[in-house]
Amino acid sequence: MLASSAVREYLTNVWDGVRTTLVGMRITGRYLLQKPITVQYPDERLPIPDRYRGIHYLEQEKCINCLACARACPIDCIEMDAIRHGKELEWVSFTLDYQKCMFCELCVYPCPKDCIHMGTEFAYVSFDRSEFVHDLLSFKGMAPDAKVRMREAKEKKALKEAAKLAAKQAKDESEGNGDGD
Amino acid sequence: MQHGNLVHELLSGVAPEAVPEWATILVTAVIGVSVLVGLVSVLAMFSVWLERKVSGHIQCRYGPMYVGGWHGWAQSLADGVKLLMKEDMIPLGADRVLFVLAPALVLGSIFGAMAAMPLAPGFYFADINLGVFFILGMSALTTIGVIMSGWASNSKWSLYGAMREAAQVVAYEIPLGISLLAPLMVAGTFNLLEASEAQSGWFGMKWFVFQNPFLIPAAVLFFVAALAETKRAPFDLPEAESELVAGFMTEYSGIRWSFFFMEEYAAMFLMSIVGAVFFFGGFESPFTSLAEWAFVAESGADGVVTEAAGIFELPLLYHVTAGTVLAAKALFGVFLMMWVRWTLPRVRIDQVMTMGYKYLTPLALVVVLATGFWELILS
Repeated sequence: MLASSAVREYLTNVWDGVRTTLVGMRITGRYLLQKPITVQYPDERLPIPDRYRGIHYLEQEKCINCLACARACPIDCIEMDAIRHGKELEWVSFTLDYQKCMFCELCVYPCPKDCIHMGTEFAYVSFDRSEFVHDLLSFKGMAPDAKVRMREAKEKKALKEAAKLAAKQAKDESEGNGDGD
Repeated sequence: MQHGNLVHELLSGVAPEAVPEWATILVTAVIGVSVLVGLVSVLAMFSVWLERKVSGHIQCRYGPMYVGGWHGWAQSLADGVKLLMKEDMIPLGADRVLFVLAPALVLGSIFGAMAAMPLAPGFYFADINLGVFFILGMSALTTIGVIMSGWASNSKWSLYGAMREAAQVVAYEIPLGISLLAPLMVAGTFNLLEASEAQSGWFGMKWFVFQNPFLIPAAVLFFVAALAETKRAPFDLPEAESELVAGFMTEYSGIRWSFFFMEEYAAMFLMSIVGAVFFFGGFESPFTSLAEWAFVAESGADGVVTEAAGIFELPLLYHVTAGTVLAAKALFGVFLMMWVRWTLPRVRIDQVMTMGYKYLTPLALVVVLATGFWELILS
């Protein structure tokens, strides 16, 4: 009686060992034939949510150098510098220190021109700490269209002044004629 | 000299009278050794790549994808270059002589074992009439190298790994040998070529597993014992990385470490070859039968084609087909070992011992007995 139960247990163990191995191999075999769920990262990327808070991007043409974002920043990692020429700006720098930035998005809300945004780029890697002070400017100095606008304004002004001058001269002349009468 | 060694016969035929016999034997040996070294290293590189791909896909990943372009085929090549460049470190407290000797012994013994491996009918390096015993003996010799490396490293992890290897090999060498006895009884020979020849017929499907029902459990037992013998998961206790860092390989780095790695994959391939020859038909398959029918009119007892068939006059194609069939069977065995590795978790050392002594050994004995009776009754 005892012997037979021991034999039964032994054979059950053998059967269980074989059966469970085969069950496991069936599962892994199914995974083997399935298409991998990972993506080849630098070549393909998973979609990033629209409201993801990554590296900032700046719409420089819209920015008016008002410092609202820099003041809103709780850790003072935004610095900007621009020279004002009348209505136009000559950009020097607009830097964000990503060693400090905590991606809180507080700089985005106060912007009166809605020109600073959180982007979707998240991999910011460098061998050098200094490279984490990232300049958001897409161009330095004045924008090409700002230059055009300034030149146009100057020309317009010059024209206006010339017209004024001409009018004044004409007036002077007519007045002189009047005097002559 | 070995009869039927094609390379030797070719050399003897070409060489002038003045060249002595020993010179041709020496040249044959040199050619054989270089072919083996090339075979083992290419095989190891391919197997490492295959292992990484199989493990990747089992885990729903891709595995290597970049190096070389197509699915990272050159990854192993790059790894090999990296390993060659690595610093060759020998620990301060290590026994330098044994430490350096151990990887050489491990790799050397597996090279030796592979000498008895047939490549195609008539193509082999050494025609040994006790071929299987030679292979099992030589591959058991790698254990000595592993124990040497564990002792010489002067590290507790290495020594634990080596002790486990010793215990494991002692436990599994027995069922490995006994489970092979069953097909050996059916074949009536220890020679791998003759065993393969004994399975020809039935249009290439007269495999030993189909000739005797008890050889199916024998094949399973052989597979499990071969897993333990080649230190593969779930029996990879000698190098159990979660417990022993890397077991007996802990103190090794660079090319010396890669010798152990190459040995593991070469041993896997060799065990798969033995399994394929003694259970699954060796060179025999419908393709081989077709090639034999097309290209061979008459062949010697050892598989050497003596007269080509009139249809194509290309007996070499028959050899190529047969060799490819055996290699494909062996690679499928290697793939099976990988599949098991990435399915089962590592077992405890006491479970390994239980399985070896309490299950595998008695079951192998029962299977051998049953096979013997079956053969007696049928004949």
